[in-house]
Amino acid sequence: MRRALVVWAAVVIAAACVPPAAADSPPTEFTRDEVRRILRHGPWPQPWSPDPSNRVSGRAAAIALGERLFFDQRLSTDGARSCASCHVPAKSFADGLKLGIGVDELDRNTPSLVNVRYNRWFGWDGGNDNLWAQSLRPLLDAREFGMTEGGIAALIRADAALACAYRRAFGAPPAPADDEAVVVAVGKALAAYQETLVSGRTPFDDFRDALARGDRRAMASYPANARRGLRIFVGKGACSVCHFGPNFTNGEFHEIGIPVLRKLGTVDWGRYQGIKMLQASRFNLEGPYSDDARRSTAVGSRHVVLGPQNYEQFKIPSLRNVAATAPYMHNGHLATLRDVVRHYSEIDLALMHQVHLYDNDGVPQTLPVDQILKPLNLSALEIDDVVAFLNTLTEKSAAPSLRRRTATACR
Amino acid sequence: MRIIGVLMLVASSFASAAPCGADLRGAVTAESANYLVAFRTQPPRIAVGKHFSVEFETCAKGDAPASTGVAVDAFMPEHGHGMNYRAVVKPAAGAKPADAPTIARYRADGLMFHMPGRWDFYFDVRSASGTERATRSIVLE
Repeated sequence: MRRALVVWAAVVIAAACVPPAAADSPPTEFTRDEVRRILRHGPWPQPWSPDPSNRVSGRAAAIALGERLFFDQRLSTDGARSCASCHVPAKSFADGLKLGIGVDELDRNTPSLVNVRYNRWFGWDGGNDNLWAQSLRPLLDAREFGMTEGGIAALIRADAALACAYRRAFGAPPAPADDEAVVVAVGKALAAYQETLVSGRTPFDDFRDALARGDRRAMASYPANARRGLRIFVGKGACSVCHFGPNFTNGEFHEIGIPVLRKLGTVDWGRYQGIKMLQASRFNLEGPYSDDARRSTAVGSRHVVLGPQNYEQFKIPSLRNVAATAPYMHNGHLATLRDVVRHYSEIDLALMHQVHLYDNDGVPQTLPVDQILKPLNLSALEIDDVVAFLNTLTEKSAAPSLRRRTATACR
Repeated sequence: MRIIGVLMLVASSFASAAPCGADLRGAVTAESANYLVAFRTQPPRIAVGKHFSVEFETCAKGDAPASTGVAVDAFMPEHGHGMNYRAVVKPAAGAKPADAPTIARYRADGLMFHMPGRWDFYFDVRSASGTERATRSIVLE
């Protein structure tokens, strides 16, 4: 008994001498609320079904044609660039540049195409509501590829290999007198290919699934700093409100205080202009080229609201493979993930659109249009932790779906 | 993954108004001074980032006139913003039951809650005597 008391006393004294948890020690447990929020970011990959607006979505022949077209430089007026020039497979289908480069330098950063099939809106401004229309945007934009519908259709008709692949994909040769129909089919084949670009599992996915199973041993391999960053991400950072769900985006748009002046001194109105473009497009989901006869996929386009709240809003990007897609934001304004986290930590609300109103006591107030963003005032260590977490959202090596397949001859 | 919209049940002082929403299984209520709105969503579980519809009926209290129309909207009071989509409201089948002339039935399509958190449903009920708002909060997780 005496011996036991001595041991007990020694333990108490030792415990009293242990310093408070070291700054880099991991949180051993997440709260129930945190666990619930973490589990929302999986499982991965997500189920997917073919796009009803694209009759060749998911079909092997269309995917093969789309892949061939994706790497074909003849789809640009100068014959010097293909889709893959900006959406570089080795760079997670982005380009690593601040601004994209077509025939001319562009105003926006090239977004990654990985996981693009999960999107509701396409492009930084959501100017298209479907992937096949978005695929045509750079081809027909004078500053990107500068092609005409006639030029694209003529190439498909004249090239034996492309015409053959087209016939296989669509069951008929390219229409001889309907350029627009051929061009839309090109968009649908390009979309079918891009739908196959899905990222693989990441260290975060392994941790998330281990958490779901209660597998503490598997959870232990997830780095301590990433855990702390994850806690901020789903907690006081409120990052997961917008970067929601398994693809780490709610698919919508937000103003986040990034400068919007373009190099020519004009303003990039972002989503405001995107909705106008969508509503004017013949290629939207309510238009004549959607293969979804019931127009069930057009609900968003039918009900989307255009208003001043859309000024300078840009798409909330997925964070999967985010470490591989620097620089960041719609105009590549921020070079590194550390810059991004620091931006939110020190966000200048004066740069955001304001509303003027009176509070309940009749006192005038000026508030940001959206009040969710506030300076987080993170410490340097906390910023490191969030960056460490974000790095775990990137797969260690490119998933098989992201590697180029060998083209087979078409006869 | 489906995210569940948890309805924050509020004791209603109109528990005796049983006929309102009697045909809408699982409906909950919002109310204003002169109207009770019984509603349910379709699908029943609201998911973040997914469109949904609202089936509802308005029931006039006491001597209030029947509604002539309703606008449906939603707002996140803690964020200071609403939806990115505009709901379109249409009269539902049997819009004015013959045996209950103060009840009107509607369906709203095109709603979407794009963030988790508290959302307030707004039902702006129009009638011959003006417009008044019935509200109901939910927390979307």
